[in-house]
Amino acid sequence: MRTPDFDKFKPTRSSLAARKRTDMLMRVLIYAAFLVAVIPLVSVLYTTIVHGITRFDWYFLTHNMRGVVGGLYPYGGILHAAVGTLEITLGAMVISVPLGIMTAVYLVEYSAKKRLHKTISFFIDVMSGIPSIVAGLFAYSMFSLIFGPGTVNGFVGSAALSILMIPTIVRSTEEMLSIVPVDLREAAYALGVPKSRTIVRIVLRTALPGIVSGVILAIARVIGETAPLLIAAGSISSTNFNLFSGRMTTLPVYVYNEFQQGMASCPAGSALGTDAWGVCVPGIRMERAWAAALVLILLVLVLNGIGRLVAKVFAVKTK
Amino acid sequence: MRLSHNDHSECVQSAQPWRRILRTVLVGTSASVLLCGLAACGDNTPSPSLTQSSAQAQGSYTEKLSGEFAAAGASSQKSAVDALIVGYSALQPNIAMSYDPSGSGAGVNTFLTGAVAWAGSDASLSDEQIQSSQAVCLGSTAFEIPVYVSPIAVAYNLSDYGLNDSSVHMSPSTIAKIFTGKITSWDDPQLKKENPDIADKLPSLEITPVWRSDKSGTTKTFQTYLHHTAPNDWTSEPSETWPNSLGQGAKGTPAVTMTIGQAQGTLGYADFAQVSGLGTVAVGVGSDYVAPSPEATAKLIDESAASSDSLGADGRFVIDVNYATQESGVYPIALVSYDIACPVYKDARTATYTKQWLTYALSDAGQKISQDNAGSAPIPQSLREKMLPVIDSITAASSGTAAKN
Repeated sequence: MRTPDFDKFKPTRSSLAARKRTDMLMRVLIYAAFLVAVIPLVSVLYTTIVHGITRFDWYFLTHNMRGVVGGLYPYGGILHAAVGTLEITLGAMVISVPLGIMTAVYLVEYSAKKRLHKTISFFIDVMSGIPSIVAGLFAYSMFSLIFGPGTVNGFVGSAALSILMIPTIVRSTEEMLSIVPVDLREAAYALGVPKSRTIVRIVLRTALPGIVSGVILAIARVIGETAPLLIAAGSISSTNFNLFSGRMTTLPVYVYNEFQQGMASCPAGSALGTDAWGVCVPGIRMERAWAAALVLILLVLVLNGIGRLVAKVFAVKTK
Repeated sequence: MRLSHNDHSECVQSAQPWRRILRTVLVGTSASVLLCGLAACGDNTPSPSLTQSSAQAQGSYTEKLSGEFAAAGASSQKSAVDALIVGYSALQPNIAMSYDPSGSGAGVNTFLTGAVAWAGSDASLSDEQIQSSQAVCLGSTAFEIPVYVSPIAVAYNLSDYGLNDSSVHMSPSTIAKIFTGKITSWDDPQLKKENPDIADKLPSLEITPVWRSDKSGTTKTFQTYLHHTAPNDWTSEPSETWPNSLGQGAKGTPAVTMTIGQAQGTLGYADFAQVSGLGTVAVGVGSDYVAPSPEATAKLIDESAASSDSLGADGRFVIDVNYATQESGVYPIALVSYDIACPVYKDARTATYTKQWLTYALSDAGQKISQDNAGSAPIPQSLREKMLPVIDSITAASSGTAAKN
């Protein structure tokens, strides 16, 4: 049998050059697209750091806004807002993570090709399109109906945020569960492991790192929400640790409030200069807003780190 | 066999740092909560000037309150209310108070549902609102008292031409013509005529009007002023939205002042307290030109209150601002913002709080704090004395102290 004439398929020099040109062109285009995508990110980070670093100190992190007037010393801080953001986001997680994961488990493991599957899927899609302000209004009116008008506390905020988190968690968990190989499930069944146990010990365990990243994404989506929390959790200048009673300021609401009020007016005859009694800083609200924005970014970064750590620690060890 | 052994040891190793982290987090959190105490966590020590002025008023606030109190309403009052909260909290250290700047309309609606103790509003109550207030005020009707008066400055930026310190003179009709596009340049003959001293310095530069793009009581006040003083040049009906799209719109007072500051030849209107660094127009009153100041605005309120017919009827103190005043030394553009409250409250705690709060807002200490920190104009003493009896008569329907806020 004659060997085929491979030389016939050899690329000509000109076609090689054309390929290289196309390769180069596409490479340049893709790098350019990458750079364009990175510019806003770097710009946001740079601006926030440059503006935020002026007020970013220990005092700022450990004090609230009670007793702070205009541009006068003391200049206040964000302790109350940081506490509020952490507690409200944690509350939202407690509501939406179990609900989201269990919904995803039902969708992937139990309801395939049933009519309920389609219905739930459809409503999850609808939910992910709900504007955040509507979620805030929903939570506010629901609690107003149940607990009387004007019920505003941290937990109402958590409820509002959980509405925004659930679809994200369901979708990402669903993706993760469906890529767990069927072989693993079948192997478990073959050993006589019941279905529920297989899901908990094999499927969820395998998909854990992906589920955790999904949860982190969901948190990152809601932690910067302003509008729903403005309605549902309100704002107050003192520190409130109780999620279930009293208003709670969160970082985005804090930033919004500070920016909204603009320049602080100084009493006649007050000195301008460095931090001391009687010294007035007209631009203090902007400085506080930037520093709080910086804290918010750092907070998301830390949560991201914790999430990755959790995923790593619990990940299935493979050799 | 060896493989599984390895797996096992790795598992143990990786579980340990995890437990350690968890423990550190738990210990750290509980320690910081313990260190903090509870409500006082992170509170600032207020400025001594503030606590001194409040300490003098200590006597009137003998009944101590605790817990959270909420109010809502006009965003214009926010800075003043924030300053007042600090002063009042110095007298009542165990309360936490919030003011939600949701806007006049939203604030009054929230008040009418009974969710907040009082509301701030840039507009007086309508008859319909008075009617519906009977539900929340237990049969009596709500009243309003002016607590916050803010001069509205017509601000410009001509810093490159060294004119930001020398208040450019403008008559009401000139202002109206600029905002309707009939005068478009800073060296317009009309402007030169009104400013003989600086006529040569006025640049040949286009005037860019800057206005509020959101609904605002400031916009309505400014338009009402033009409507009263230059009816021929300002023909649109005053409303909370700006009627034309000449120049540049900006959302919120800070954005307006920022927009004015960023370009040369801009002209806009904003609360006087917010316009530091910009030039302010001295507006024509009679044959005179008056620059904005809290004192000149206080005169306006004094004069307007004297000429308001139904002032104080049913406890309602609605001031018809006399924009078209001809008095010398009176600055004619001012936003009057009211606090709306009930004469009767369901529970004693809210009644006491509202009474104390309004008394504090109208006290010398309260007026000074709001003037120093929000740039508001003081409410004339005579008017305040008329309002105090109405505040003093706030009562509670029941004597119970346990109640919702």
